[in-house]
Amino acid sequence: MSLIFGLLDIANIAQPAFLIAGSYAAYVLNSAYGVDPIVVGVALTPLFYLIGAGVYRVYYATFERRGEESLRGLVFFFGLLFIIEVSLSMRFGVDYRMAQAAYVGKSIDLGGGVGVAYRYLVPCLVGLAMTLTLYVFLGRTFYGRAIMAVSQDQGALRLMGANPIHIKTIAFGIGIAAASLAGALLVTIAPVIPSTDRDYIGRMFAITVLGGMGSIGGTLVAAVILGVAETLMATFFGPSWSLAVSFGILLLALAVRPAGLFGR
Amino acid sequence: MVRAVEAGYGAVRVLHGVSLEVREGETVALLGTNGNGKSTLIKCIMGMVAPAGGEIFLEREGRRVDLTRKSTEEIVSLGIALVPEGRRLFPKLSVEENLLLGAYRAQARAGIARNLAFCFEAFPVLRARRRQLAGSMSGGEQQMLAIARALMSSPQILLVDEPSVGLAPILVSRVIAKIKELKEQYQLTVLMAEQNFNQATKIADRGYIIVHGKIEFEGRDTRELRENELVKKYYLGV
Repeated sequence: MSLIFGLLDIANIAQPAFLIAGSYAAYVLNSAYGVDPIVVGVALTPLFYLIGAGVYRVYYATFERRGEESLRGLVFFFGLLFIIEVSLSMRFGVDYRMAQAAYVGKSIDLGGGVGVAYRYLVPCLVGLAMTLTLYVFLGRTFYGRAIMAVSQDQGALRLMGANPIHIKTIAFGIGIAAASLAGALLVTIAPVIPSTDRDYIGRMFAITVLGGMGSIGGTLVAAVILGVAETLMATFFGPSWSLAVSFGILLLALAVRPAGLFGR
Repeated sequence: MVRAVEAGYGAVRVLHGVSLEVREGETVALLGTNGNGKSTLIKCIMGMVAPAGGEIFLEREGRRVDLTRKSTEEIVSLGIALVPEGRRLFPKLSVEENLLLGAYRAQARAGIARNLAFCFEAFPVLRARRRQLAGSMSGGEQQMLAIARALMSSPQILLVDEPSVGLAPILVSRVIAKIKELKEQYQLTVLMAEQNFNQATKIADRGYIIVHGKIEFEGRDTRELRENELVKKYYLGV
C-alpha cells in the first residue's frame, strides 16, 4: 500500500482484497496439501506480482492514459475489490477459514509466565523481513530509486532513460505481491472471511498517510502505533472504538506533521 | 543534425522548417528570446514532442540513426542527455539519489562510481549536500545538480535548455563557465539553448539565432554572432 498509494499516487482500494486473496490461496494449498501457509505465501508472490502488473496495465490503458485517474480510477479499484471479494465468497462461502502449521499451538516461554506463540512470532518475523527487503530494494537499486521518483516527475524520469509505465508496472506488481504475502501471514495468525478486506481499507490508508507517503520505515512504525492503540482501545473500551482511534491518531498527527511521521 | 523540422502544439505551429547541425566536439548556441521555439526544438530532439515534419538524426561512425521515431528513453540510451528547462529535479529525493538516477541507462551503470566521484569533484557543494533533499537547495545549486545528473549518464552529446533562467547574474556566469569546463573535460558535444546572449557566446564555438520558429541567422563564429543586426535589434535594443 505504501508503495502503490504512497509512491505511485494511485489510490488502490482493492489492495486489501489482494491481501485476502493471498490468505485464501495460502489456506487452500495449506488445507489440501498441508504445505506451510507462509511457504505458500512466499511461493505465490511471483504469481501475484504478475497479477498486479496485469491489473496496472489494464488500469493504465483504460484510465490513466486518458487522464481519468482520480475518480474513475477509484471506481475501477472499488469494482475490483468487490469482484475479488464476491468471487471468494461464492467459491469458499462465508465461513471463517484458518491455516494450520507445524508450529501453531506451540510457544516460547520467556519466563515469568510470559510467552510468545510461534503462531504470532513466525508471521511477525517474516513480515519484518519483507519490510526490510522492500526498504533495501527501494533505496539501493535502480528500479527502487526510479519507483521513488516516478510520481514526482515522469517526464524527467524519461530523461534518465527509464520508462515510467514500465517502472509503475513493476511497483504495482511488487505492491500486490507484498499484499498477498501479508494475507498468508494473516491467515496464519487469525481466521479470515472474504469480507475481512473491508476492515483493512481504512487502516491501510491511515497507516500509509501516518507513516509518511511512501516511507517504508514510517509505514512500519505507523502500523505498530495504530495496532497497539487499537488493541488497547479494544481491551479497555470495546472493539467498536478501534477504527475511530486509528483515524483520531491520524488526524492529530497530521495536524502536527502534515507530511506524516517520516514523510519527506 | 536537424533538417527542416516542423513542430507545434495542437493547432499552433511553433517551428517552421528549422535546420541546424552540430558537429562532434562543438559547442553550439541556439539563441533566441522567449517564445521563439528553442525549447520546442530541444524537446523534438529528445523525443518529448513529436515533430510534424522534417528529419532529426544522429550520424555516428558513418551510420545514420533516425531520432524522430524513437522514445525519449531510447534517445537517452544513445548517449544524448538533456539538462531540461526548469531543471526538473526529483525534489523529494536526496542529491545523491538524483545523481544515481542519472546513471539509470544501462551503459552508464558500469562507470557509476567514477562518474559520481567526478561530479562531486566538479561540484563540491553537491558532495557537502549529498543527503539533502534536492528541492530544498537554492536555484544555483539545483542547476548544478541538474547538470551533474545529466553527466551521470556518461553522455557523448549534452543538450542544455536555458541554464540561466531564474538565476542571479553571478550564478549564470558560473554555470556557463562550468559547462565549458565540463565539455572540455568529458569531450562532449554541446547544444545549448539560451536567451542570455552575452553569456552563451562566451563559450560557444558558433551559433544560430532563432526568431519566430525560423533560423534567421547562422554565425560561423562568435564574432559573426555578436556583430549581427538581429542581435543588435533583439538584445542590445539598438
